[in-house]
Amino acid sequence: MQSGTFHTNYASDMALRPYWPQRIRIVLVIVLVLAFPWFADRYWLNLANTIGIAAIAAIGLNILVGYTGQISIGHGGFLAVGAFSAGLLAARLNMPMWITVPVASLFTAGVGAIFGLPSARLKGLYLAIATLAAQEIIIWVLNHGKLLGIGESLALSRETTNIFGIPMIGNTDFSFYWVIMGSLVLTVIFVSNLFRTRAGRAFVAIRDQDIAAQVIGVDLFTYKLLAFATSSFFAGLAGALTAHYRGIISWERFTIDTSILYLAMIIIGGLGSVSGAIYGAIFMTLLPAILSNLARALSGTVPQINSYLPFMQQGAFGLAIILFLIFEPEGIVKMWRNVKDYFRLWPFSY
Amino acid sequence: MLKGQRRIAIIGLLMALALLLAACGGQAPATGGGAPATGATAPAGEPAGGGAAASGEPIKIGAIFDLTGATGDVGTPYSQGQIAYIEWRNANGGVNGRPLQLFSQDYAYEVPKAEELYTQFVTQDGVVAFSGWGTGDTEALKGKIAEDKIPFISASYSAALANPAETPYNFIVAPTYSDQLIIGMKWALEDWKAKGNSDAPKFAYLVNDSPFGRSPLADGTAFAQANGVETLLEVPSPRGATDLTPQLTQIKDFGANYVFLQNVSSPAALALKNAKSLGLDIQFVCLNWCANELLIKLAGADAEGVVGTIPFSPAGDGAKVALDYAKEKGIDYGGADSTFVQGWTAMSILVAGIEKTLADGKELTGENIKATLETMGAIDTGGVTQPIVFSSTDHAGSKALRIFRVENGAWVPITEFITAE
Repeated sequence: MQSGTFHTNYASDMALRPYWPQRIRIVLVIVLVLAFPWFADRYWLNLANTIGIAAIAAIGLNILVGYTGQISIGHGGFLAVGAFSAGLLAARLNMPMWITVPVASLFTAGVGAIFGLPSARLKGLYLAIATLAAQEIIIWVLNHGKLLGIGESLALSRETTNIFGIPMIGNTDFSFYWVIMGSLVLTVIFVSNLFRTRAGRAFVAIRDQDIAAQVIGVDLFTYKLLAFATSSFFAGLAGALTAHYRGIISWERFTIDTSILYLAMIIIGGLGSVSGAIYGAIFMTLLPAILSNLARALSGTVPQINSYLPFMQQGAFGLAIILFLIFEPEGIVKMWRNVKDYFRLWPFSY
Repeated sequence: MLKGQRRIAIIGLLMALALLLAACGGQAPATGGGAPATGATAPAGEPAGGGAAASGEPIKIGAIFDLTGATGDVGTPYSQGQIAYIEWRNANGGVNGRPLQLFSQDYAYEVPKAEELYTQFVTQDGVVAFSGWGTGDTEALKGKIAEDKIPFISASYSAALANPAETPYNFIVAPTYSDQLIIGMKWALEDWKAKGNSDAPKFAYLVNDSPFGRSPLADGTAFAQANGVETLLEVPSPRGATDLTPQLTQIKDFGANYVFLQNVSSPAALALKNAKSLGLDIQFVCLNWCANELLIKLAGADAEGVVGTIPFSPAGDGAKVALDYAKEKGIDYGGADSTFVQGWTAMSILVAGIEKTLADGKELTGENIKATLETMGAIDTGGVTQPIVFSSTDHAGSKALRIFRVENGAWVPITEFITAE
């Protein structure tokens, strides 16, 4: 039996996935992701795409909340900034998706940095309320969009959904699956590596003890703003993808409820973990879908179930959060780790 | 040790859930969806009208309802009306001997949930027609509706959905919000003159702060200005507000004579109560979604004298059938007669198109139902509305409505059918 891990060169020391079970798992995940759309119908593709977009935004929020320790309840607002900046570029200037999405993401990063300014002085609950203001201000501006020349909703022409001039083929759900999953993979690679760099380590230092971080030479203001900007960049990316995928956007999609939902995702998935954010996005998207499918399956035997379903769904959402806070505050990612630990020593665990 | 066991128990539970999901996922398409909300399981042999219960291949219709969201107050009786209509049809022999099967669920007025349910009902369950609800989600779905060729009625009467050149599969079963507002303004202008005034009245809007609320305002303002009403005040009524005194004070300072409410019943009732305590002498005009019995129930005596544009009148033979059926079955829709009738009638219009398509011997596809609705001529709703007529260039099927007023705690018609022209 292996008694430890011994790296004999820097490459293996720096590898993201140094062990063979991890490599097998990632290969399995890749195969699953590649094979899924060929077998799934549009309903499941729609869910997968929703999960993909949610995962990108949740990873973004986790940079800020989980890794840097700054609370934000304005994430829905930043998604809206991304969606509407991409939407306006596409609808008014007829710009294609491969230009609007990066531009919108960068723009959202800028907006996020501006709304991150209060973080220089505010912490904890006070910062949370300041980001709440960001959420409300952004939605107000979009809702009364005459200022920006937006009507009640913004429709994007399908012609703008091309990549380097090549139009997308197949139905929307199928073709966007590849765009969204591609973006998610890039996001995961970027963010996983981010925390092995100077900036990423500075984020974590600020989270763990901001005064100590300052003492060892981390410029709090710069890095907090950087965290807000990076986090908002991914919110913008998710928003811009939403805009092009759905074709029509209105502010109603990005209310405070959305912000809370994303916070719930990273808490349930696991704060300060990339995979946790993905698990959280999967869980929070699938939970209502599972419940409604369960009710459909049961309604043959229990006909009344449909009238209770709305209340069950709302209750389940709250129950999930409470149960996780009680039994596994570190989220799904920790549960997964426990399973791995259990089987690693199996059958001699004690 | 205990802790470890508990963890394993939780993991086991989650795995069981995952398995269940897989099971449902596999089952749902195979059985054509396990959940006929009520439709096909309507009890056979109920003496609802003497007709035999329908048999044969079910006709699948999808619907999303708001039961728990921002517009759940009127969404619930509307959904009950639609479900009741399906049950009633099935108990009376169905459509051409085939039962109707309704796939419906609550979407809590959330656009993403609406998209998910729409996709599920259309792609997995294979519904041939769809009944939606809100303005925001109907707008969000319009691209997919055209792509999937699913005839779609909704409880949103936004004029933006009435042009078949842009939204070929959206059908509007009531006068558009714009028409309703203009009809309300027409009445207000005459009322103002009848009271012996020679100058122009002042109009204000108090509207739901959403696409639904603002949808008719541009058309209404254009009409008002063409008729000499100069400046109009637009006051948004915030979601979930518990006090509208500031908004009403703004309207009072503006000196409005008529206030047009485009909102659902609960906030509209709040506005009426606040207006009473402020002692405002203003005529309130409710469009569709607050002109119902719920408003009277919530505002009580303060609703007295309020005027409403009610596109689906709870008077008439068609309404009587619906209300009698509800009484017989003990359906409790909270006294919201007109909203219940509205849901019932809207569904009956969609089903009329399906029935005619089958009677013509055509295959039941979205394209055929659309073509039938556009060419079948007037659809009679038993006096609930004027006959509904769709054409290939105009999907606003209804142009006229009657103005009602609250007198002694009930809506009483005070005009004949008026159009916006």
